[in-house]
Amino acid sequence: MVKLSRRVFAQGASLASLLASLPAVAAGKDSVTIGWPSDVTGWDPNQRFTPDAQALYKMVFDQPLDQSPSLKLIPNLVKAWELAPDGMSLALEFRDDVRFHDGSKMTSADFRWTFYERVKSGQKLDIANSFRKLKDIEIVSPTKAVMRFDSPAPTVPVWLAFLGSFIVPKDYMEKVGLEGFAAKPIGTGPYKLVEYQMNGRIVLERNDDYWGPKPKLKRVVIEIIKDPSARVAAIQSGSIDLTVGVPVREAERLGKVAGLKGELNPIQRVILLQVRNDQGFADQNVRLAAHHAIDKVALSRAFYGGAAVPLSLPATPGTPGYVDSFKFAYDPAMAIKLLAASGFSPAKPAKIGMACTNGQFPNDYDMARAIVAMWKKVGIEAELEVIEYAKYFELNRGNKLPETTLYSFDNATGDPEIYAGYLLNPKLPFSPWKDPVLGEKVIAQFNVADEAKRIAGWRAIGQEAVSTGACMPLLQSVQTLVRKTDLAYTKYGNGWVMGQTMNW
Amino acid sequence: MLLPFARRLAAVGPILLVVSLLLFAALRLLPVDPAAMSMPPTATKVEIEAARQAMGLDRPVVEQYAIWLGQTLHGDFGTSIHMRRPVGGLLLETLPATIELSVAAMIVAGMLGIGGGLALFALRNRRGEAVAELTTTLMMSIPEFLWALLFIFLFGVLLSALPFTGRLDPGMTRPVVTGFLLLDALLVGRPDIYASALRHLLLPAAALGIAFAPPVMRVLRTSLVDVYQEDYIRQARLRGVGELRILLLHALKNAILPTLTLMGVQFGFLFGGSLLVEVIYAYPGMGNLMVDAVRNADLPIIQAVGLTYCVVVLAITSAVDALVLLLNPRLRA
Repeated sequence: MVKLSRRVFAQGASLASLLASLPAVAAGKDSVTIGWPSDVTGWDPNQRFTPDAQALYKMVFDQPLDQSPSLKLIPNLVKAWELAPDGMSLALEFRDDVRFHDGSKMTSADFRWTFYERVKSGQKLDIANSFRKLKDIEIVSPTKAVMRFDSPAPTVPVWLAFLGSFIVPKDYMEKVGLEGFAAKPIGTGPYKLVEYQMNGRIVLERNDDYWGPKPKLKRVVIEIIKDPSARVAAIQSGSIDLTVGVPVREAERLGKVAGLKGELNPIQRVILLQVRNDQGFADQNVRLAAHHAIDKVALSRAFYGGAAVPLSLPATPGTPGYVDSFKFAYDPAMAIKLLAASGFSPAKPAKIGMACTNGQFPNDYDMARAIVAMWKKVGIEAELEVIEYAKYFELNRGNKLPETTLYSFDNATGDPEIYAGYLLNPKLPFSPWKDPVLGEKVIAQFNVADEAKRIAGWRAIGQEAVSTGACMPLLQSVQTLVRKTDLAYTKYGNGWVMGQTMNW
Repeated sequence: MLLPFARRLAAVGPILLVVSLLLFAALRLLPVDPAAMSMPPTATKVEIEAARQAMGLDRPVVEQYAIWLGQTLHGDFGTSIHMRRPVGGLLLETLPATIELSVAAMIVAGMLGIGGGLALFALRNRRGEAVAELTTTLMMSIPEFLWALLFIFLFGVLLSALPFTGRLDPGMTRPVVTGFLLLDALLVGRPDIYASALRHLLLPAAALGIAFAPPVMRVLRTSLVDVYQEDYIRQARLRGVGELRILLLHALKNAILPTLTLMGVQFGFLFGGSLLVEVIYAYPGMGNLMVDAVRNADLPIIQAVGLTYCVVVLAITSAVDALVLLLNPRLRA
């Protein structure tokens, strides 16, 4: 053991103080430093659903299935899968060449452990909710397994590539325990976690034994920078190479700075007004008038540089639930006419409450204020209140949300069940719309196993919801991204930004 | 000498008890449901109810407080609702960074405050006094988060002279011995890491410390003016002692006592003020943890961090009290 004398200690400190005045040595070109706006909640990837952390987890862990940049479901650790026609079972075949970071082989036993045994043993995991219908997982061989459900589960393949669905090692986890795993996690992913400081940074090093395409960059450093102004300053000063979630105007400004490129990328996140079916919105005329009065193109121009696509359905263009021909018009005259039919006018406005977040997604509060102003012109007076995003569910469970809430809903998969189904299911806390007429149709649609009927059903439900004012889709959200021009990365339709797709 | 100090120490226990009670009561009054917050959005009402029972939230509030207090006294701060990790571990992970930052900020505030106080005293009744007063007012009226942004723009972006995110350069791996990075770097014999950590500490410490310097300056100046009315200063002059020697060796020794007391009180505010500065500088301390906890209504973390702030402030105040008692014989009488 090295013993430090006081003199050596003091000399070291003095030398270090001198070194402190020297600039930091720039990181080499086989590494990248990313400024990320939020941290993981912990290193057990099955534990909590955190959409913003999914890309971070995907660097260390692998999912059974994956999504291509265009969001098509593709093989990953599972190389083949087949859903039974009745949707009651899913047969899976795993790759035979996958190893965890400790060198142990990944088998179907790890899959069963992740999705079934952990939940059954009482571990508190969010994936228990996404695989609620799971009855058992039968291990056929080390590379084959069958998932069995107690009711049709047509979206399970989609969920195997969605939030929290990362395969973790059974033997290692049993050996080190949950806390041991969280402190030193291993996965089968393209990078190994070598350093983590909560709310500070994540340091990853390439997994040279990775079963898939080898990442080009050896080291990925993720600096957790929560303040948007600090992220802007960091990319502008060159101390990071790429960042996301900066204000739209800053992304546009930084895009004009030499050596930087600013991007506004539409992603699978919808911005919409979630609606109650009672109180001031019990009258369908008022709801439809409220929707007709919103100029979505103007909102997109004002708050997203025109990059956010106006929506008429709770789905984004190109996804299965989107219907190109269905349009809900911006028509203030129609809004005034509908309101007049119900006895309202600008002089005698319909009064409603509106909730919104402030800072949960870019320009949320300003957008809510703009909508309130648009409504005022046609004869709807809305009282705006700011809520924390996390409180939305609690208020909805307690039936305490106002008539409408400006809401942002993330669906990395693009599946229509996770759009219209989750947003309109009266039994789930996303939907304040509790009317049983639409609600029963939505709940029944969750059990449709036939893929063609399933998609058609969700498209019809989406259109019905908008036509009756049960939901007011506004815009497809955009991800702002600023990077050094010589850093290339693969752009995903859902906003995933991952080190394994980057190169200089 | 020990009696007055012992009396003050004896008050620490009741103060902590009252603070814990207030903290617990205030957080229970918030319109949030920790059980619902601990579950994913897709959880059913039955599952949330089960979580509520498991968390003991279905019991009477007094019983809940007694359980929480008992566990806290045994070092068990509960489990984070959002992160599902023991809160004690989260505190141990983040507290050293915040202490390191606060101490560095206090050094900045102390150096600026004492240096500035001496300058203000030297400038009294001179032409520069008004400018100096204006400068201190300006320093005091700009909040720390604005200093933080100004420093980032000036030293980080415009001059590219200092780093302003995190605690270390990207190429370095953080040594973990005590959690105090500067100390750990020296313990593992890595002056390069020490240097990097020091460079990363400079801007947040300056942003946090600068707003606390002006009160120190003003108190020191006023104390020096008072001390200069004392007979022993006149006698020193009559003995032919030089002005600088009178100031530094005779007057400052006595004038520094109220300044020290003030700095002790300020350390508490400074410790609490680290919240925003830590977020802006992506500094992984307890303030950053607290901001997330508030956003997620993570009551166990909020309670534990609140209590930790209180303990640290009481510890610092007690230490300053002890120091002042040691330096001032009149208080020991």
